[in-house]
Amino acid sequence: MTAPGDTATRLRRLLAMLAWLAQVGEAAIDDVAQRFGIAPDALVGELEMAACCGLPPYTPDQLMEIVVTEHSVSVRQGELLSRPRRLTPTEGFALAASARALLAVPGSDPSGALARALEKLEAALGAGALSVELDAPAHLEAITAAIASGSELEIEYHSASSDRTTTRRIRPLRVFAGEGHWYVDASCALAGGLRRFRLDRIGRMDTVLGLPVTPEPIAEELPAGDGSADGASTGGGRDLFVPGPDARTVRISIGADRSWLLDTLPTSGKPEVVGDRVTFEVIVGGDAWLDRLLVQLGPDARVEGPPEDAHRTAAVAARILGRYEMEKT
Amino acid sequence: MERLDRLERVTDLLLVLLDTPVPLSLRAIADRVPGYPGSPTARRQAFERDKRLLRDEGVPVEVVPIGGEEQLGYRVDPDRYYLRDLRLTPEEQAALNLAVAGVHLGDPSGHEALSKLGVVGDLPGHPMAGALTVELPTLADLPALPGLFEALRASATVTVRHRGELRHVDPAGLRFRGGHWYLVGFDRDRDAPRTFRVDRIDADLEMGPSGSAVLPEGFDPDAAIVLRPWRFGADDEVVVDVLVDAAAAGGVVAELGPDAVVETRSNGSVVVRLTVTDQEAFVTWVLGLLDHGEVLAPAEVRARVRGRLVELARAPAEPA
Repeated sequence: MTAPGDTATRLRRLLAMLAWLAQVGEAAIDDVAQRFGIAPDALVGELEMAACCGLPPYTPDQLMEIVVTEHSVSVRQGELLSRPRRLTPTEGFALAASARALLAVPGSDPSGALARALEKLEAALGAGALSVELDAPAHLEAITAAIASGSELEIEYHSASSDRTTTRRIRPLRVFAGEGHWYVDASCALAGGLRRFRLDRIGRMDTVLGLPVTPEPIAEELPAGDGSADGASTGGGRDLFVPGPDARTVRISIGADRSWLLDTLPTSGKPEVVGDRVTFEVIVGGDAWLDRLLVQLGPDARVEGPPEDAHRTAAVAARILGRYEMEKT
Repeated sequence: MERLDRLERVTDLLLVLLDTPVPLSLRAIADRVPGYPGSPTARRQAFERDKRLLRDEGVPVEVVPIGGEEQLGYRVDPDRYYLRDLRLTPEEQAALNLAVAGVHLGDPSGHEALSKLGVVGDLPGHPMAGALTVELPTLADLPALPGLFEALRASATVTVRHRGELRHVDPAGLRFRGGHWYLVGFDRDRDAPRTFRVDRIDADLEMGPSGSAVLPEGFDPDAAIVLRPWRFGADDEVVVDVLVDAAAAGGVVAELGPDAVVETRSNGSVVVRLTVTDQEAFVTWVLGLLDHGEVLAPAEVRARVRGRLVELARAPAEPA
């Protein structure tokens, strides 16, 4: 039987299987099938086909030696196809960057297995000129420990989107670095649900003594809100900002000659160009975030809707201007 | 004639091209690889399709002029096809697996790299697996990144379009700082070190020959890197003092580092000092502080911020 996928997909999978089998020698058919996401009989078909491939004059010494028994497969020759292949620039970058990033997590072992693997990889790629730096926020280790033990924490949290500080009791579930900051997803007693918090906005933090609770599975959808990440997101399906119930969509336009700016903004949907203006939408979780965006975009930017935000730029500018009324040196 | 599985033909083609010490003409290839049609036109079409498939899968199929009727020969240079054996220990393989599982680039390239290395892992059932991850910017948002990485490996001068402007850069390093990737290098046009945010570089960059990049002696990308937007420009240097109130002081000090603080007041506000070479970028930054921040000195920068605010306060509220 023919395995699923087009020829390119099948070739990629075949080469990956041969490379892996060369590493392990022999493996159970079911195991290989599961690893490479293919039905066992399709797997056998692919390997039997590969066993017929080889070099002229197709004498046995030129064929790949792939042995398929009832339950297992092994590759003994066929070095030409099973030796590790060079990585594409994207693959090389992805692997080196992943290793560098994990090594940049505070507390990782700078001379451990990952560091040694990366050293070998970079020597083979001929590139060491890549580095990743992540913040080392004060509470990271304590939060990781709390996740591991299932304990609760009491935190003092400053939300930049609402410009307010609150004290909350949270049970952290998952911690991650993204967009230059560390975040923790946690169930929050004050909000009555899952919320996302930025670690560098956590002030005081204490472990709540008491019996650890049984961890709940992490929900796929995170109904964040006031504990959100300031409305920042890069798209790509992993938005750091998850709109809460109070979030609203605001339409803004800027001169089309500045449309490159949109690359740096957390827009939602597709920007629309009309004449010399480009209009885009942002999802706003808090007024302070929108205020900041509008004054930074400059006088050329216009709020197209909703109407209640139309006078916002002028009002914010007037408020800041209050600080500049008295001359100073 | 029995129709051959195309995968078999492509696999044989790859083996033949890898094995040949000299470039082979298409006719010689068809003699060795079963399954190509007899008619020259159909054979050429089928071969071109196979060649494209191999190239799309990253196989460096070389085309070389040869003598004789057919003029072009094909081969795969094993040195360009194979990676040096990394000799990874099982422990190192597991560590790379964990790295690829825990660091997200919105792209399967890391997993594909592992499978090329023959590392296809069971993840160890670590209790914290999935509880700590690093989200790097997605490769889809950084179209120039693989090309820059390649230029860096090859020490090649690279011509990039950055915010609509062509720049010729000798790359020295790629750095991930504060949530963004930066290219650090020597700008041939400016004759000076420059830092570029990679997400602002267009995809269609042009790479010069290997070894064409020449960096000044002792060039250190970590010393040359400029991360503050107000340091990107070429304006004359101005030293600016900014008063930041207590509510925003913590964030600003975390961003600039404690060395930037020149005064701490009893009400918790601080004065920070910045050296600015891009006043427009500085104005954008200081406005981001809203009414938590205020430029104290020098007077001309304070006037510039004030002027911007007056303009903003008059900005048309209704669509024109």
